[in-house]
Amino acid sequence: MPFDAMSDTPDEALLVLYANGDFAAAQALMLRLTPRVLGYATRLLNDHAEAEDVAQDAMMRLWKVAPEWRQGEAKVSTWLYRVVSNLCTDRLRKRRTVALESVAEPEDGRASVVQGMIEQERAVALDAALATLPERQRQAVVLRHLEGATNPEIAQVLEISVEAVESLTARGKRALTVALADRRKDLGYHDDQG
Amino acid sequence: MMTKDKDIGLEAYFEAGRAATPVPSADLIGRIMADAQAQMAPAIAPTETSAPRPGLFASLIEAIGGWPTLAGMATAGIVGVWVGFSQPAGLDMVAEQLLGAEDARYLVDLLPAFSADFEEG
Repeated sequence: MPFDAMSDTPDEALLVLYANGDFAAAQALMLRLTPRVLGYATRLLNDHAEAEDVAQDAMMRLWKVAPEWRQGEAKVSTWLYRVVSNLCTDRLRKRRTVALESVAEPEDGRASVVQGMIEQERAVALDAALATLPERQRQAVVLRHLEGATNPEIAQVLEISVEAVESLTARGKRALTVALADRRKDLGYHDDQG
Repeated sequence: MMTKDKDIGLEAYFEAGRAATPVPSADLIGRIMADAQAQMAPAIAPTETSAPRPGLFASLIEAIGGWPTLAGMATAGIVGVWVGFSQPAGLDMVAEQLLGAEDARYLVDLLPAFSADFEEG
């Protein structure tokens, strides 16, 4: 199938095409899925280089499973998120919990800007706050609010019930709000700013 | 308990987070595609083995070493026929050297009786 014609082809069909020897299908899948896999891994690990390794590993597992993929059983993206979750869990177990203070600050000193946080600073603050959450809460919040996954999809990824997902997400957001409020105080912001 | 205002504030952070999604590096893309190519190789292999099977004659030629061997055998056969019809002059000399003059002549003149009959008619 020509590469241009693959933009509307579902992930599952592309995977089957790849398994049948269509390399263009692999390219289309890679372009579609790698940013999502990398984004999720980066948020879980807070380390870009390590997240790239996880992304490569997860995609490798996808290429390997392609010949045995059974359509209709699971979405490729859901399967990949689960693989990334497990890979990140393994890596996080091998290192100590990252303290909020140790997470990268904006490098160029723009944190001292008082009139509201710009988008990049907010993103950095979010990553730092996410790093303080318990792992499962972090996974649920990232999947729901940054990756745009639905609660049933998250339930499949984390292999828990939809109710448990809702509970995890709610607790995660509460903890995130507290962590961000603490960070704003540390940076000298007031509640009525930004 | 979290107020509605605080929840809206959190959404602004999520929006910023979505906008700052990391972009895969060229190196990562290259590594992933190399993996995809490597994993695809075993799947292509069966199509190579599904080429048309050679026929019986081709199999026989292949068994004796292919066309070069066949050409050598044909040349050897033609030379053998030629030697049989026109005895090269050097063959006498070689036979004399190896077996002695008398034996050589004996060996070469295989049917002297036939020769006499032929002369007498």
